[in-house]
Amino acid sequence: MSMGLIIIAGIGLFIVMLYNGLIGKKNQVENVFGTIDTLLKKRYDLIPNLVSTVQTYMQHERGTLTEITAMRAKAVSGNLSDDEKVDLDNKVSKMMGGIMVAVENYPDLKANQNFIQLQKTLNEIEEQISAARRAYNAAVTDFNNAVEMLPTSLMASMMNYKRKQVFEIAEKERQNVDVKSLFNK
Amino acid sequence: MRTVKELKNFYDTVLYPELSVIEEQRIVTRNRVLISSAVIISIALIIAMIAGYLNAYLGIGVFSFLVLTGVYRYVISEYVRNFKIEIIEKLVKFIDQNLSYTRGNYFSPTVFQESKLFNHRVDCVDSDDYVKGLIGQTAMEFSEIHAKYVTRDSKGRRHEHTIFKGLFFIADFNKQFKGKTIIVPDTAEKIFGQLGTMLQSMNKFRGNLVKLEDPEFEKMFAVYGDDQIEARYILSTSLMKRIVDFKKSSKKTIQMSFVGSKINIAVSYAKDLFEPRVFRTMLDFNPIKEYFEDLKMAVSIVEELNLNTRIWTKE
Repeated sequence: MSMGLIIIAGIGLFIVMLYNGLIGKKNQVENVFGTIDTLLKKRYDLIPNLVSTVQTYMQHERGTLTEITAMRAKAVSGNLSDDEKVDLDNKVSKMMGGIMVAVENYPDLKANQNFIQLQKTLNEIEEQISAARRAYNAAVTDFNNAVEMLPTSLMASMMNYKRKQVFEIAEKERQNVDVKSLFNK
Repeated sequence: MRTVKELKNFYDTVLYPELSVIEEQRIVTRNRVLISSAVIISIALIIAMIAGYLNAYLGIGVFSFLVLTGVYRYVISEYVRNFKIEIIEKLVKFIDQNLSYTRGNYFSPTVFQESKLFNHRVDCVDSDDYVKGLIGQTAMEFSEIHAKYVTRDSKGRRHEHTIFKGLFFIADFNKQFKGKTIIVPDTAEKIFGQLGTMLQSMNKFRGNLVKLEDPEFEKMFAVYGDDQIEARYILSTSLMKRIVDFKKSSKKTIQMSFVGSKINIAVSYAKDLFEPRVFRTMLDFNPIKEYFEDLKMAVSIVEELNLNTRIWTKE
């Protein structure tokens, strides 16, 4: 009788551990995604500053600047799903990269103290975003392993947990951080 | 960075004349060492003969060995000092004009402890060669150190235990961060594979295990940190690659930590660094090349790890 109780208690404990482990992994993913979100907001906050600094110099990129301002407005308006956020972020990253390349044609702008400072801040945030994305991918991989591997997979299917997508960081995007290589393109 | 060919030229023109003087001192020093050893050993033998019983031999042996090492150190001290000032300092300046060389103990136990590289309490740090300077925009310093902790046995005798012996390097890091991130050689994963990783993640002594995506880097090192994102912010994909390359080219055991906006690196060495030879001639290019390569390895860290890239907010 008591043996039976011990076994039941053991199984119960095991289930609780599986359950808590999965919850912990899910929360880790959400936590890191939260950080990415904060960092992206920080970067969006820099866009008006960037636009106002470069627009007096950049005569041929007016269209791009208007577009990026519009994107920022959309991003900070809220009510976006996670997927939309990621998508918008990719577009903004690409466009920012484009602007930074175009800067090459404006030596006066490149020498502008304000711009140099701004560029450093942008690099900083890009580097932090890249770190957060990698942390997110690590957390998601951890979570996905738990969802697909035994014995946690049984628990996960009962809790209706599904695989999450990792960030696909294109090679080009990763290099955004390195301004020198951008300029040499 | 200077090449071995440039060093050969420097050796022929500048160092060789200096080494000739050092060589004369070496011969005098060697003779003194030999004579004083002969005297000590003879005295020990005489005492042993007078004592005449077996139990005393061990005591006499140990005692005369201690006297020998003490006398040896004393006899060679002046020669060593001259050698370091004349040769090592010139070599340091040859590698980079902006570097300065000092003899003396500049790394306190606190500095070493604060690197968080080793868990053990540090009681004393011996160091005598200290190099400091600016490489590009990056302030750096390094020293050959021997960090120890002291215990006392039941009879109150003092015992020293080595925590680390080798080169200890500190430089200003090019990014700002708040927490600590530590990189240690990955022994558990090498031996136990997947199970090793599990064991590592349970070891919270150094902080949380940070699993990184570079497989080559992961095979060599285990990373612990306060903050998963910050650890990745510091260890960008390019820095991981550079650390792997540095580890491969130096062929040494390397540990690193990132604390208080600095990078600390400990490179283990079994031998004593930058010491002159006593029983073999110093008029030889090979030992000079060895000193040069050990110094260059430390100085090159700044370039190897790209610490001069200042594109982020930290100036």
